[in-house]
Amino acid sequence: MEAIIKMADINKEFKVLKRREGIRGSIRDLFSRDYQILKAVNDVTIDIMPGEMVGYLGPNGAGKSTTIKMMTGVLEPTSGEILVNGRVPYENRTRNAQDIGVVFGQRSQLWWALPVIESFRILKEIYQISDRDFKDNLEYYDALVGASELYHKPVRQMSLGQRTLCDILAAFLHNPSIVFMDEPTIGLDVSMKSKIRELVGRLNKEKGTTIILTTHDMGDVDALCKRIVIIDKGRMIYDNDIEHLRSYFGAYRTIQIQFDRHAEDLDNEVLQQQALEVEAWLRSEFAGSESIAVSMEENWIQILINEEEVHMMDVVNCIQKQRQIADMNLQEISTERVIRKIYEGGIV
Amino acid sequence: MKKEKRGFAYYAHIYKMILLQDLKSKMSYRADFIISTIGILFTDVAGFISFWILFQNFPEIKGWHYYEVLFLYGFSLMAMTPVQCFFDNNWNLMEALYTGNFMKYCFRPINLFFYFISEVFDIKGVGQFIFGVITVVYSWNKLGILLSFRNIAGFFVGVISASLFMIAIMNFAASASFWMSGGTSQLMILMFKFKDYARYPIKIFNRAFQIIFTFVIPIGFMAYYPSLYVIRPEEVTVLTYLTPFYGIVLVYLSYLVWMKGARQYSGTDS
Repeated sequence: MEAIIKMADINKEFKVLKRREGIRGSIRDLFSRDYQILKAVNDVTIDIMPGEMVGYLGPNGAGKSTTIKMMTGVLEPTSGEILVNGRVPYENRTRNAQDIGVVFGQRSQLWWALPVIESFRILKEIYQISDRDFKDNLEYYDALVGASELYHKPVRQMSLGQRTLCDILAAFLHNPSIVFMDEPTIGLDVSMKSKIRELVGRLNKEKGTTIILTTHDMGDVDALCKRIVIIDKGRMIYDNDIEHLRSYFGAYRTIQIQFDRHAEDLDNEVLQQQALEVEAWLRSEFAGSESIAVSMEENWIQILINEEEVHMMDVVNCIQKQRQIADMNLQEISTERVIRKIYEGGIV
Repeated sequence: MKKEKRGFAYYAHIYKMILLQDLKSKMSYRADFIISTIGILFTDVAGFISFWILFQNFPEIKGWHYYEVLFLYGFSLMAMTPVQCFFDNNWNLMEALYTGNFMKYCFRPINLFFYFISEVFDIKGVGQFIFGVITVVYSWNKLGILLSFRNIAGFFVGVISASLFMIAIMNFAASASFWMSGGTSQLMILMFKFKDYARYPIKIFNRAFQIIFTFVIPIGFMAYYPSLYVIRPEEVTVLTYLTPFYGIVLVYLSYLVWMKGARQYSGTDS
């Protein structure tokens, strides 16, 4: 099968004016053309197959949105080859736009004052959707989420959840082959989040639409994506199955402990102090193992270990020798933790 | 197979849809509509009263009489209508850029400028238009201008051409936001204020302002030059005849600058 998005050795550089300090500096800036080259995207190569759902992750400013803009034809890469649906996106932005959909979590793309159905009708004209496809999609949406209940409500009167839902439906209305989603569940409550995730998952499966999902919410990734791509400082640092990532970190465990029965009543500072003590004990006992990390989560002291380096029981014994453990909890490493580990240390 | 070419009919159809829907939803907020229309009417009436007082004290300004200047006033109000009704979203451009909301306009398979501008239709301009029509009809009558084909056609061509200048000026002012991060709203307000000078005969200003209002900020074309054709045919200059062409060129240029800014903006934003 041919890849639907092909990026090969893509680079994107921005020229940024070097700013000087102070008022005199600003005045000199007016006349100087002292540019600095900023590499926003550095040698990125990705192939995405039709129907895939890819989680596209990275800290803020990593180059995610620059990559997305290149895929959507808004930006032209400085160098490298890019093909979306077999076309070079920036050479024909509007033609490319006909085959893609875009969803922004908190920014509705629907007409603010109009009832949703009227926005849909305008989109029908903009994308020149046939009557048949339009009708089929409306029926499908109704079966999917009971969308017709929302159709006559103006977008500005909707809750964020309803708006996101309608924005997602709008993005799929013209049967695009690719939909880009930027944090679709941001700001939503737990039940709405899972509703949106289910909707996105079904649209991906039933319509076969390729979805590129940019998010900071690991719940989205866990629920939806088989494959994840991680980018940091413009470079791709990971591109593989999420399962692969989990097995790579399979030996990692999180031990949560409490020294007091009523840890929730303790001051944060006391807990912080305890965590520091624990860290000191472990550092002196297991000087060789670098994977150990101690942190705090709610009322728990959290210890991350790699079982290939240290055994869980040794760690627990070591702590127990110093102080009585009141409560304990053992967890596999969460995706969130894994991603953070990658951002921080470049483990992969 | 979908049509590749998207011509005038396509855009006109979409615009009509958005407009009708928007009107419908605006009408449902009737209080808002009525209050804002009354507000604009008050501004216009206040402008009219200051005129009236001025001419109570001075029967003429540099050879220009009350009804002539009133005609220019009505003419300029009519010429302001298109920019106020159809291009009002330019006022929101700076905020859209600041918040990053502008990006959403880049992902549709239609012209960026059209998509952005078509989003808002401001009905408030209609009240002002009616006020302008009344003022023009009244002063036309008082001036005893012949209702000939020449005059009527000249008037309509004049108003339509004149309206192009404010559209161009506001497009230019708004597109400054693409390059500058602050202060462009003041620039827009300043440019918008210039329209108040359009209702006076350019000839009453000194030489420097005459040149500025003709070539730099061409508000002389918003009433004075095109009106000459009807109210003072003997004073018509070559600039009067140039009004439609100059207007079209300026609007097109302002569109090009706007689009260039939009492209450049999406390139630098992260």
